[in-house]
Amino acid sequence: MRRTSLWIGAILVGINVAVALLTLVWLPYDPTAMAGGRLQPPSWAHWAGTDRLGRDYFTQVMIGARIALTVGIGAAALGGLIGTTLGVLSAFAQRGIDDALAATLDILIAFPTLLLAMLVVAASDGASLGTAILAIGIAMSAILARLVRILTKRVLAQDYITAARCSGLGWGRIVLVHVLPNIAPTVLVAIALQFGLAVIAEASLSYLGLGAPPPNASWGQLLQSAQSTVYNAPIGVIAPGLALMALVLGINFLADGLRDLLDPERGAA
Amino acid sequence: MGRYLLRRTFVLALSLIAAGLVLFVLLRLLPGDPAAALLSVGADEAQIAAARAQVGSDQPIWVQLGMFLSDLARFDLGKSFVSGTPVLPEIAARLSVTLPLTVASFLLAVAIAVPLGIISALRADRWYGALLSAVSQLGIAVPVFWIGVLLIWLVAVKWRMLPASGFPMKGWQDFPGAFRALILPVLTISLVMSASLMRYVRSATLDVLGADYLRNARALGASFPRALIRHGIRNGAVPVISILGIELASTLLGAVVVERVFALPGLGSMLLLGIQQRDYPTVQGVLLVSTLLVLLIGFVADVVQRLIDPRLRETVAGR
Amino acid sequence: MNTKRLSVHIFGLASAALLSAGAALAADPAAVIRVGSLYEPQNLDNTAGAGQGINEAFNDNVYEALFRLNDDGSVTPALAEKHEVSEDGLTHSFTLKPGVTFHSGEPLTAADVKYSIERVTAETSKSSRKKSLSTIESIDTPDDKTVVIKLKSKSISLPYNLSYVWVVNDAAGDITAKEDGTGPYKLADWKRGSALSLEAFDGYWGDKPANSGAIFSYFTEAAALNNALLTDAVDVITSVQSPDALAQFEDASAFKISEGKSTTKQIMAYNDRVAPFDNVKVRKALARAVDKKKLLEAIWGDRGMVLGSFVPPTDAWYEDLTSVDAYDPESAKALLAEAGFPEGFTFTLETPNYDPHPITAEFLKAELAKIGVTVNIHVITANEWYTKVYQAKDFQATLQEHVNHRDVVFYGNPDFYWGYNNPKVTELVAAAEASDTEAQQADKLREANRIITEDAASNWLFLYPQIVVSNTATTGYPLNGLNAQFFLRGIAKE
Repeated sequence: MRRTSLWIGAILVGINVAVALLTLVWLPYDPTAMAGGRLQPPSWAHWAGTDRLGRDYFTQVMIGARIALTVGIGAAALGGLIGTTLGVLSAFAQRGIDDALAATLDILIAFPTLLLAMLVVAASDGASLGTAILAIGIAMSAILARLVRILTKRVLAQDYITAARCSGLGWGRIVLVHVLPNIAPTVLVAIALQFGLAVIAEASLSYLGLGAPPPNASWGQLLQSAQSTVYNAPIGVIAPGLALMALVLGINFLADGLRDLLDPERGAA
Repeated sequence: MGRYLLRRTFVLALSLIAAGLVLFVLLRLLPGDPAAALLSVGADEAQIAAARAQVGSDQPIWVQLGMFLSDLARFDLGKSFVSGTPVLPEIAARLSVTLPLTVASFLLAVAIAVPLGIISALRADRWYGALLSAVSQLGIAVPVFWIGVLLIWLVAVKWRMLPASGFPMKGWQDFPGAFRALILPVLTISLVMSASLMRYVRSATLDVLGADYLRNARALGASFPRALIRHGIRNGAVPVISILGIELASTLLGAVVVERVFALPGLGSMLLLGIQQRDYPTVQGVLLVSTLLVLLIGFVADVVQRLIDPRLRETVAGR
Repeated sequence: MNTKRLSVHIFGLASAALLSAGAALAADPAAVIRVGSLYEPQNLDNTAGAGQGINEAFNDNVYEALFRLNDDGSVTPALAEKHEVSEDGLTHSFTLKPGVTFHSGEPLTAADVKYSIERVTAETSKSSRKKSLSTIESIDTPDDKTVVIKLKSKSISLPYNLSYVWVVNDAAGDITAKEDGTGPYKLADWKRGSALSLEAFDGYWGDKPANSGAIFSYFTEAAALNNALLTDAVDVITSVQSPDALAQFEDASAFKISEGKSTTKQIMAYNDRVAPFDNVKVRKALARAVDKKKLLEAIWGDRGMVLGSFVPPTDAWYEDLTSVDAYDPESAKALLAEAGFPEGFTFTLETPNYDPHPITAEFLKAELAKIGVTVNIHVITANEWYTKVYQAKDFQATLQEHVNHRDVVFYGNPDFYWGYNNPKVTELVAAAEASDTEAQQADKLREANRIITEDAASNWLFLYPQIVVSNTATTGYPLNGLNAQFFLRGIAKE
């Protein structure tokens, strides 16, 4: 059972990665070619039909896989880096600074990702993939920092840390030798789960018109523009939604499987 | 406990003030002039200057900040640049849509998630236990607006069972209309939310089931349901409450997207429009109120947790 | 409340049966017309930046003017009973209709009209019509029924321009959140972010409307707007944003699709001040490189119309100029080479983030790539467009939809955002305004438009179709929606 979720996750994510890599070198159609006739239903020539400019829709959904992975990886890397650093620093800091940091994180978490995205988009002269990654990454880092802070404090309260301190080990070494390896499994799983949420967050931003502009259209944007034609071409709404679901599902399964691998004690429970 | 409450309230107030300041500065960093929203193609220099004077964007930023703070001290969130109407009553009117939407979705999600989560944990070895956790996995993996769009398409447009979007003109005075208008949005949010809640409930239940105190209680002769109720719920509730707090807050913030999908005149649509029009008083007002609500939720969740679990009172930072 | 409403209805029914033989037999005078729209007014004052939504809801419904711009483009007297012009064309006197009262109960006087015009020309006014009324030198009110306007220079379009000036009670004060007009409807309720409702005004001086009121419901997404009509939440929707949405209304027993005459033009405006767009050859080359017919088809199917110039067929000075720079990529390349860009060039296209601009931008990018010109699409919000392009004029080229009626005169203003500066055109536009007859005005503007077109001042792409969809029970609504107006008084519902 536990291994199954790892396998399902690996396969779903693997397909996505493969498709994303494939789009770099090959596409079934030129994504801007308006050749297919508008809003055609799915056929052998066009697996997901065509959009309202007659462009092949499957091609666009494939490109969406690349965009989703790019945003997910970018935001997870950024959020993980900032979040872990801030969390560890906060746990080590003096009480006053720690409290201030914790309160700041709470405020950041209370701020809608949407507003962060708007600010980043406005400050960087137009929406792009980068702005989406930055906005989601920052929002994610606040959540991760809070987690890392608590986890680190828990590790620091252990007897062996006191022992290590007594034996003259520096704080830097303690972080490297004791803290990071101890918190890594939980944090990695949290990052993986946040990865999935990042993909959804990006779709929401695009849906609200704050995502990357075409031709870097994400699934969220495809959904938004297909929404007005759901009546005559439901595939336009269904296809990107299913693709998104498959990717996030895969990531979540993978995260579950990873947790069991990294933390067998809990997995057995 | 009293000292803790005092300290926690102080932190809450401080956070709110900090949030207000941060908001004010961040908004002013945005390029684009709020006066532009008042103008149309054909406006000349004099009209532009007049519009800037009206919204105060011709003043230095510290003057604007001073005005903002003095207004805030009088619980005045200012007047919208665009409509000229006061922001606070507008927010109150919008909350009459957003709060029922959020609370109803939350309650429904809890009502779905808690029993199903416990069942899927207790019966993890049966087919329906496995099915339940598989469905919850699916629910976590979809964006909420996708569910909304699909529900509109099927329930409202194809089957004509419920209104596709909008909210009655008379608001809650037209109770049946308002109620019907919120059914689909509430369903949309609670379907997605109950999926993630269910997972937390399930894992909390699994933790409780594997815990020593439950085994001890049973060894001491308590029946299984009795042991579960006496010890399990109390222990399992603590992590679930903190998750509930976070989920409630994120529902409130996530309502932006759902209100957009269903064209509901709530806080979220007010925020979106305000941001588009650079209507600073509106954006500030909405975000201050929503931040206050989110911080309050966190406050309540913390206090309730400490009431339930005395051990938490001794932890380092009281969180 | 309900009983009062009911008695009004019964009275309405009787009078309609007796008086209005023209209305459909089954029409219900108590009906409330539910209108779906994408354009919520930002406030209720058309001189305070309320947007086009306020024209839709209030023009001729809540507020009337001295003249009315009818749906067919003609201008006829409304609150003015008589209009006399002096020999030199500089003094216009207007006699007001008798027996007109405001919704507040006060009678209409000449002072109200003077106040209303000055509201539009005031320092703080943000009306888009302020400039066109700047020829007014003074307004006098010799008696309660007479308004005398003295002009600095002759203005053939004074009645047309006055049709944009709401007549407001001079005692009304701030009208951003309330109203006091003379129209057949008064404001009943306004819920920001959701809807605005009007109800028939009992003391109206003219004929009773064919319905008892209207509710405008506002949407931000075209999909939601269409769903509202589809699920019978509204009776009529004022704009359809894509032809594909029409497929769901094809059931003729339930819905009626009507196409009116549009004035909404999709254009690519260059900044004519900056290189390479200061070069007429470059502009002509870009005009010839775009297959507008294919673009229109991609966006609107078989609806709408390809533009050869900025002037739509509804203007009297329209002529078909599509042949001036017809689609011809080969000659486009040759022109580019002549202009000194044999290898093409690169420019940034400021693209508003709402439909159909992003699609148009992608299409242009593909088309211009064929003649070696690279387009960087830069997506911006409406607000950014206003600040960066319109105000700061900091752009190379931009897409925009121009909705105004009779707006070719913008090319006579060298300070306009697109920076087209041809003294001959400026002179012709001024001369047209000083014309004695409408025929003379049309001749002058036609000549100006020919020059503008020869100069390829901008790249005029296509005219949007103007589509109104309603359920079959609803009839009598305006189709053209000039100046975004939506006259309610004739709308009947079975």
